[in-house]
Amino acid sequence: MASRGTEKALSLLRRLPRVELHNLKPNPGAHKNKTRGRGIHGGKTHGAGSKGSGQRQNFMRLGYETGNNPFYLRFPCQNYYKGHHLKLSYVPLCMGQLQKLIDTNRLRTDIPIDVSQLIYTGLFNVKPLEKEGGFMLQDDGMDHFCATLNLEVQWASESTISAVERNGGVITTAYYDPMSLEAAVDPIRFFKRGKAIPRRMLPPQNLIEYYTDPKNRGYLADPKLVAQERFNLAQKYGYQLPDPRESPHRHMLLEKKDPRQIFYGLEPGWVVSLPDSVILKPTDPELKEHYLS
Amino acid sequence: MSLTLRLAFHPRLHNVVRNFVTSCSKGAADTVVVPKSSGTPLIIEDKWKDDTGAVEDREAWVETLDNSTDSTQRGLIHLNPRIFASYPRLDVIHENVVWQNKSRMVNYAHTKHRSEVRGGGKKPWPQKGTGRSRHGSIRSPLWKGGGVVHGPRAFTTHFYMLPYHKRVRGLISTLSAKFAQDDIKIVENLDMPSDEAGYLEQLCEDRYWGPSVLFVDESDIMPRNITLATDTLGHMNLMPVYGLNVYSMLKHTTLVLTVGATRLVEEKLLYNLDRPDGRSLLTRFRK
Repeated sequence: MASRGTEKALSLLRRLPRVELHNLKPNPGAHKNKTRGRGIHGGKTHGAGSKGSGQRQNFMRLGYETGNNPFYLRFPCQNYYKGHHLKLSYVPLCMGQLQKLIDTNRLRTDIPIDVSQLIYTGLFNVKPLEKEGGFMLQDDGMDHFCATLNLEVQWASESTISAVERNGGVITTAYYDPMSLEAAVDPIRFFKRGKAIPRRMLPPQNLIEYYTDPKNRGYLADPKLVAQERFNLAQKYGYQLPDPRESPHRHMLLEKKDPRQIFYGLEPGWVVSLPDSVILKPTDPELKEHYLS
Repeated sequence: MSLTLRLAFHPRLHNVVRNFVTSCSKGAADTVVVPKSSGTPLIIEDKWKDDTGAVEDREAWVETLDNSTDSTQRGLIHLNPRIFASYPRLDVIHENVVWQNKSRMVNYAHTKHRSEVRGGGKKPWPQKGTGRSRHGSIRSPLWKGGGVVHGPRAFTTHFYMLPYHKRVRGLISTLSAKFAQDDIKIVENLDMPSDEAGYLEQLCEDRYWGPSVLFVDESDIMPRNITLATDTLGHMNLMPVYGLNVYSMLKHTTLVLTVGATRLVEEKLLYNLDRPDGRSLLTRFRK
């Protein structure tokens, strides 16, 4: 914004006539008339071209190559798309970016960080309906990362896990089904609906392996094995593993969500009423049984 | 500056640095004339200064509307370059002007279509046997005095919303363009010793302001004298900061801002340049 070009433009303006209502105009080419004239003013064919599908509006079907053997029939096997309805994409979250969020006070570090907290920074958007599964931690800017966090993301690589743990933090990878993710992305909109907080579903078959693996710090992995893997990773990357139990922030660091839980401090089955500032809990034994994890 | 006046406006100013002696003259050739007033000259520092910009800080004289004192200049004010020296996007200014004009425009043109024109229910002549062309109604669009097809229909509003950030950008561009062309003047306040229109007209003429002048103050309760003086003058108007807009700034030749109004405009526009929830404003406006 601010540059030598700005200075030049402003100094040029000093020598030009006064900017007034009558000498303003849009940039050349900015305005394009969307409508054609009517009758004889619309051009010979009103933009429809002569003859063929353009004129007759019989558009060819998708993939049709006017008589050739179409691509989708010539090469029937496209493995790239195999199981596309099961695959999820993730919103990239770089470690340098995460550090910047903390440095600029956009992200609180005194509470555990999950999808809701990351969305609340106002810089990200996760669309569960477009098959986005949450956040994927990426190692860009990893060398600058120096925060102690209790972080929950949906996908993390070994190097990013080591960067978080090296600083005394705790990282978990957790799966959110689309319905739960929709609630976690915009909690206020969800609470305004007046519905009970759902149970978080277990991961689908293709993701069970990832989230039960202690190497990925999966939320379904055995905590003892996770502790072992934390130690192993510290050995592998050559750093002294800080113990979160001895940290002054141990309450925050050791806070963990239940696999069925979506929001910290709120259990499935509860209804949050924002206008009355009241939390309604189920009393019916059958409901309690249903929401029990 | 009389003692009472100084006391009156002193608490309203921020970061007032007094005993201003150095940095006023730059070299022997172009010495800046220090305003000779009875009080010490003052510099009002930029409140939201950041050194990141490549554009130099802008400065302006702080004047007064009181012609009775020996000097009309009270001191110097530092203006934020992100507001008063940003790139003048003339196309965005134009878009803002068009938006302001169109959003209040209602088209009253109206035509009747064939069912609304009186009569025409009966078939004028039989379909066959008359030797004349086939017609079903005398109010068909083909007939003289018939209905109009796709004609204008009252009341058509031309209201639309310009994207939020373009509106912010338009204000900043206009302020920058006007400041670059010396059309923005800063005054300490809008206090005047006289309530006569002739006094204000003479003052503007002496200082080469105008012919049309827009005075902008922080709040919408203005001092009594300037309110009376501008009451009969169509080309000199008063406006609070919350009413400041691109069209009015361009409609008037000179824009006169009080120190308080300048700081408020800067604060509001700087907030909008860096606001954390800027993404939520990108959603399309729905009527």
